[in-house]
Amino acid sequence: MANTDTRTGRSEEDRRSAIEASGLKEEQLQEILYFLVLCRYFDERMETLYRQGRLPGAIYSGRGQEGTHVGVAYALRPEDSLFPTHRDLSAQLTKGLELKRIMAQFWGRIDGYTRGRDGNSHIGDWNGSRTFTVLSNLPNGYPVAAGAALAYQMRREPRVALAICGDGATSNGRWHESLNVSAIKKLPVVWVVNNNQWAYSTPNRLEFAVPTIAERGVGYGMPGVRVDGTEVLDVYTAATEAVERARNGDGPSLIESVSLRWKGHAGHDPAKYVPKEMLEDYVEHRDPVKKFAELLVMAGAIDQEGVKGIQERVEREFDEGFEFAQQSPLPDAGDVDLGVFTDDGYWEREPSREGGAPS
Amino acid sequence: MSDGDRERVGGDTPQASPTTAAEQAAKTEGDGGRAAAEAERAKKVEKDESEAGAAGHGAEPRGKRSDKGEATYLIAVAEALWEEMERDERVFMLGEDIGVYGGAFKVTEGFIDRFGPERVWDTPIMEETIVGMSIGAAMEGFRPVAEFQYADFMTCGFDEIVATAGKYTYRSGVPLPMVLRGPSGGGVRASAFHSQNPEPLFAHVGGLKVICPAFPTDAKGLLKSAIRDDNPVVFLEHKWIYRRIKEVVPDDPDFLIPIGKAEVKRAGDDVSIITYGAMVHRALEAAEDLEEQGISAEVVDLRTVYPLDVETILESVAKTSRALVLYESLKYLGIGSEVSAVIAEEAFEHLDAPVMRLAPPNHAVPFSPPLEDAFLPLTDDIVAAVDRLSKW
Repeated sequence: MANTDTRTGRSEEDRRSAIEASGLKEEQLQEILYFLVLCRYFDERMETLYRQGRLPGAIYSGRGQEGTHVGVAYALRPEDSLFPTHRDLSAQLTKGLELKRIMAQFWGRIDGYTRGRDGNSHIGDWNGSRTFTVLSNLPNGYPVAAGAALAYQMRREPRVALAICGDGATSNGRWHESLNVSAIKKLPVVWVVNNNQWAYSTPNRLEFAVPTIAERGVGYGMPGVRVDGTEVLDVYTAATEAVERARNGDGPSLIESVSLRWKGHAGHDPAKYVPKEMLEDYVEHRDPVKKFAELLVMAGAIDQEGVKGIQERVEREFDEGFEFAQQSPLPDAGDVDLGVFTDDGYWEREPSREGGAPS
Repeated sequence: MSDGDRERVGGDTPQASPTTAAEQAAKTEGDGGRAAAEAERAKKVEKDESEAGAAGHGAEPRGKRSDKGEATYLIAVAEALWEEMERDERVFMLGEDIGVYGGAFKVTEGFIDRFGPERVWDTPIMEETIVGMSIGAAMEGFRPVAEFQYADFMTCGFDEIVATAGKYTYRSGVPLPMVLRGPSGGGVRASAFHSQNPEPLFAHVGGLKVICPAFPTDAKGLLKSAIRDDNPVVFLEHKWIYRRIKEVVPDDPDFLIPIGKAEVKRAGDDVSIITYGAMVHRALEAAEDLEEQGISAEVVDLRTVYPLDVETILESVAKTSRALVLYESLKYLGIGSEVSAVIAEEAFEHLDAPVMRLAPPNHAVPFSPPLEDAFLPLTDDIVAAVDRLSKW
C-alpha cells in the first residue's frame, strides 16, 4: 500500500508519469515545491500569530488547497493576469507578490499593497504581478477577468486572464453570466473553481444539483475538466492546456479543482461541520505539499537535503518578511481622504512615511 | 430610417407618448387641476419639439441637428459619444441593443456602421457583467462606455458598481476610466421601473462621480469630460429632456464642461432654487411665473451631483438669503438633503428663512397620470413653495 495513494488508488508509476506529462524541468519542479512549502508555512505561522493576538484583522486559510493555487498560477506568464479571492494568497505568491509586502498589508502598514487602505488577503498588485485587488463580494472578479480578457482580444495580444473562485460563488448569477459571455466572445480566459467542498458551512450537495461543477462548462459552450486539487501537477497540466487554448484564440475553459479546506472559513471558525474522518483522511493521505515533496524525492528530482533547504529558506523569508512588516510605518492619518479619485495624484506619489512607528 | 421608425422614436419610451398621457391626465382629473395645467405646458413643449428637426439626416449625430444647427439633448449625447469614439480608439461602447438596433432611445443609431461591432458591442442581458467587464477593460487601459437601457437597470449591476468600481482606486491606486450611462427620470408615464432617479444611490458610494445634466450643451461637454476622466462616472441622461430641449451646441471637438461645477442658469435676487436634471426646466418655468409676481428667482443647476459644487451653492444663497432645494430623487436622503444640510451648516448667517425642500415622496414612481403628477414636483408646486418661502 505504501506505493499507492489510498484515496485515488493511483500507483507510484502513474504519479511519476505525471511529471513527464507536465513537461517541467527539474528546477521548475523544485520551484513549485518551494511555493507549496512557502504557502503552507505562511498559512501556519500566520494562524499562530492570529491566535496569539499578534495579528490584527482576519485570516482566511487556504491550507489543503495549495495544489490548486500553485498549480494554476504557475501556468501563467508574467503578462497574464490573475483574479483571485481572499483564500488564494498561495496563488498570489506564486504569481509574484512579495511576501514582505503581503505581511506589511496584514499589519496595516504603509508598505502593504493597499497602503493600509485594506487588510488581510485583500491584496493585489496590478502594475507589478498583474493581480487584481481582492474584495469580499464574490465572484466579483469573474466579470472583471472577462473584461481584461476582452481587452487582450481587442488589442490582439497573446495574453490570458485567469480567475479563481470557490464552489460557493458558483451559485451566484455573475458566475453564470461570466461563463456565458466568455464563450460567446471566445475570450482568452480560464475559469478556475477551487472546490474545497464547503461554502463557509454549506456543503456541495446544498449548492448545486449536478454531479460536478466541471460539466457545467458544456452548458455554456466550453470544455470543463475536474482535477484532483491535491495533485499539483494534475492541476498545472490542466491549467496549462486551458491557458494555451485561450492564448491561441480558442476560447475559455472551466477547471474544477477538488480538495478540502482544512481550516474554517476564517480564523474564528472551527469548521465542526466537516466530518472528522474526512478531514483526517485528507490531512494524512491527501496533503498536496507532502505528496509532492515525496513524489519529487521518489523521482529523484530533489533529495532530502534539497527539501530541507527549501524549508529553511522559507522560514528565513518569513522571518525577514515579519521583521519588514513590523518596521514599516503606519499610514499617515492625514492621508485618509486621498486617492479616492486619481485627481489628487496620491497614488502617483510615494506615500508619506510620517504615520509613526507602531506601538 | 423609415417614417414609421421616426414616429416610434419620437416618444420618451417605447410605451407611451408623453403628450397624450398628459392630455389623458387632464381628462381623468377633470377641469382646472394640476394635470390640466401640466397638459397645457406639455402641448407647448410638443410644438417646440416638432420644429427641432427629428433624426434622419444620416448616420453621424451632427447630421441630425435642425437646420438652425440646434441639437436636442439626445443628439448632443450622441455627438459626444461619436466625437470621443473618433478621437480615442481606447473608447468603446457596450450595452444591450446599442449596435444593430441603435439603442432603446436610438442614441447610438448608426454607430455600429461607423465603428464596427467590436467597439459597439451588443451584449447579452447581464448588467453585473457589463459593469465588471467595463472595470476589467478599464484596468487594461481601455475607456469603456456602458449603456444601460434605463438607469433603473443600473441596480441590476449594483454590486459591481458599488463594491468593485466604487472602492477600487482607493484600495489599489489603479485608475478606472469608465462611464456608466443611461436614461433616468420621470414625467413620461413610464412607472416604477422606467422613471427612477438613482443618483443618490451612486453619490453615496464616494468613489463614483455622478453627473445629471439638464441642457444639450452641458450633456455634451460633461459626457466628453466623463469619457476623458480616469475615474468611474455615472452619467444620467434625463429622458424627459431627451427630445424636448434643444439648443445650438458647440462644434469644437475639444469643447468640455468641467465635472463638479454648477452653473447659475438664471440670475435672481430674492430666492435661490437649487436643482438639477429635468427640474431645472420646471424651475426656469416657475421663475418666469414668479417674475410676474415680482419675485426674482435665481436658478442654480448643479449639473454634477457628486462631487458637489458647494461654492456656487453658497454664493447664490449668500446673495438671495432664501433657498428652495428642488430635486427629483426621493425626498428622504436625496441629493437635496445633502444640499440643504450644506446650506444649513455653511450659510446659516445668510438665511432669512429655513431651507425648504421640494421633492417626490418616498415610494415607487406611480403610473397613472394623476398619481405621477401628484408624485413629481410640478411648476405650480415650485411657485407655491417659493411663495411660502418669500413670506418668511
